[in-house]
Amino acid sequence: MKPVSASPLSPSVKVKLLNAGFLTSEELLQLKPLQLSKEGGLSLEEALEVQQILREGVDLPGEGGAGLGSTALELLQQEERSIVTFCSRLDAALGGGIPVGKTTELCGTPGMGKTQLCLQLCIDVQIPECFGGLGGEAVFVDTEGSLVVQRVADMAQAAVQHCCLQDQDAEQRDALKDFTTESLLGHLYLMRCHDYVELLAQVQLLPDFLVKNPKVRLLVIDSLAFPFRRHFEDLSVRTRLLSGLAQQLIRMASQHRVAVVWTNQMTSQLRGGQWELVPALGESWGHSATQRLLLHWSGGRRLASIFKSPSQSESSVAYSVTREGFRDAGQLASSPSGREQDSSSQSESKQDSSSQSGSKRPRTQEGQ
Amino acid sequence: MSIEQLELNPRIIKAVNNANIGVARDILKFSGPDLQRLTRLSASDVHHLQTAVAALFCKKTPVSALQLYRGECPEWDCGLRVSLGCPVLDGVLRGGLLPWGLTELAGPSGAGKSQLAMQLCLSVQYPAQYGGLGSGALYICTEDSFPIRRLKQLQNEQPSLRSDVPPDVVSSICFSDNIYVEHAADLGALMACVSQRVPVLLAQGRVRLLVVDSVAALFRSEFQADQGLERSRHLTAFATALHKLSASYQLPILCVNQVTDVMEGDSNHDAGLRPVDSKVVPALGMAWANQVMVRLMVTRLPGAVSMGTQSSARRRLEVVFAPHLARDSCLFGVWREGTRGLPSPPTQDASS
Repeated sequence: MKPVSASPLSPSVKVKLLNAGFLTSEELLQLKPLQLSKEGGLSLEEALEVQQILREGVDLPGEGGAGLGSTALELLQQEERSIVTFCSRLDAALGGGIPVGKTTELCGTPGMGKTQLCLQLCIDVQIPECFGGLGGEAVFVDTEGSLVVQRVADMAQAAVQHCCLQDQDAEQRDALKDFTTESLLGHLYLMRCHDYVELLAQVQLLPDFLVKNPKVRLLVIDSLAFPFRRHFEDLSVRTRLLSGLAQQLIRMASQHRVAVVWTNQMTSQLRGGQWELVPALGESWGHSATQRLLLHWSGGRRLASIFKSPSQSESSVAYSVTREGFRDAGQLASSPSGREQDSSSQSESKQDSSSQSGSKRPRTQEGQ
Repeated sequence: MSIEQLELNPRIIKAVNNANIGVARDILKFSGPDLQRLTRLSASDVHHLQTAVAALFCKKTPVSALQLYRGECPEWDCGLRVSLGCPVLDGVLRGGLLPWGLTELAGPSGAGKSQLAMQLCLSVQYPAQYGGLGSGALYICTEDSFPIRRLKQLQNEQPSLRSDVPPDVVSSICFSDNIYVEHAADLGALMACVSQRVPVLLAQGRVRLLVVDSVAALFRSEFQADQGLERSRHLTAFATALHKLSASYQLPILCVNQVTDVMEGDSNHDAGLRPVDSKVVPALGMAWANQVMVRLMVTRLPGAVSMGTQSSARRRLEVVFAPHLARDSCLFGVWREGTRGLPSPPTQDASS
């Protein structure tokens, strides 16, 4: 029962129909076009168009899409699952992982691992449901050229090996047949945008893509800041574009049930006489993401800090980036060449000796 | 691109023209409700309009990572790397320079940056099977004049450095013919070179590598300490121009950079921008670091190494950050025939 006021008709037509006393779209569709034009005070063409638009029933953005008023209880029952990051401590701090249906921002200086975490999520979203994952697909929008497909293939292979190493029941063994490096790469859709106009256009077309590919559960934009940090004649234009973009992304996250993740850069700002590192894109942009993670160095370790979240408390967790991907901070023995040693070999031996509890959460490597 | 050329109902086009919005790309800058208000069109009409305009700017269909991996999208990733001319050095980079994007090579003076840059200009000229791109290089000098004699020496010694390449292939390449050298004495000249001279050479297919030696020199000299914002703006404009070139022609760009000392107070601010135990950080701060995709550093270490009858100061090449590389490093020396990495363990004739 859609009310006339929420239907996708042009404002002048809506006013005429409301004045004539029509309340719901069903009433408009029940009449013949000639009747509608007489009773609604419209011309015959207008009446025909009205009925055609209502029949198309296009679920347009911003027009009462995702249900007119659910109760909070219904929303709680619908609480989406999360995408694990393969860093068990970070997953715990996030309450399971990166939440589906919400927007998450990753900030950090270059080289912290933002792209690595994004790629890891693109792989982890595809973990089959019997292993505790979402069995979904991912979309990666690349604006910087930081996607090197060999790296994605390495991470995919490591994830497949990780799942194969666990004890499996029949259902899991079956699922593993389709869980290969090729299938992981095949369900990761890539888009490349070279400037902010292309990015805006791409985001405009994404909802249609998500409708055609309903299995997509993750949308990554790496990085969102890069195309917007070139010189803008008028900064207020940039603010307006960014706020429009934020609304589109938030809407996409909840309407299409995807986790939207984007990366932001850091910039130096003079605050109280001191230069501080703050996330780029301005103060008002800070409100766009539901959750913000800051990746930074502290005392020689990489830390991920949650510094904005409606449900989790602010905390910091150590992580590392290895050949396999984004992982817990293992025992980093730095050799003279400065190479970060893979924590995988140590964790694998731990996994073999620890008992399998039979729970369906994906077993991530325990950090020390 | 004007509105008339979109495939839309003439009624919609008329409404858009009446609203005086301008060119097609401006439509993307408005939200749905804003457009409804300006054009008095219905929501579904506005949706059709936005989709048509967006399709103009997003002509490429999304590809899957598998297609990229299998080499089915050469315009995105041709799967090649630009070799540094030495297998040990290439090992640190997992094959060589990425054939797109900005790669930075930073280090103190005398560390070997220009040597590596010149060696790249030679190795890019080999065919793809030997780690090159089969094309020339453009070298932009902003500091001293181009070391032409050293280039000639390197060119003559190529058969000795590249023993992996058949001698007839090496002798068939006329190296100095394919290296274009430009001098830029100030920022204006640098921007002019990058926006005019380089695209001409690229369009003719004569170069597939751009070297800027060095980025820091002009930006540090032309701006005072308190002109930080001004410098940032110019730096961003320069980097944007480079990125545009790199994207249009799949061009790898090597930017040589100087270093500054790490200040005591902000050891955490730039911690990720330099190797962990380094006392120096690449110049030009966060504004430049955000523009760079791969950051490499070279340093000079105490001691010397020897190879045959030659002796060289010990140096190290290190990956600071890269989207596809671990923080690897290797030792290397600068020899008569060029820059060569030292397979570990290196030979030393002086204790470190």
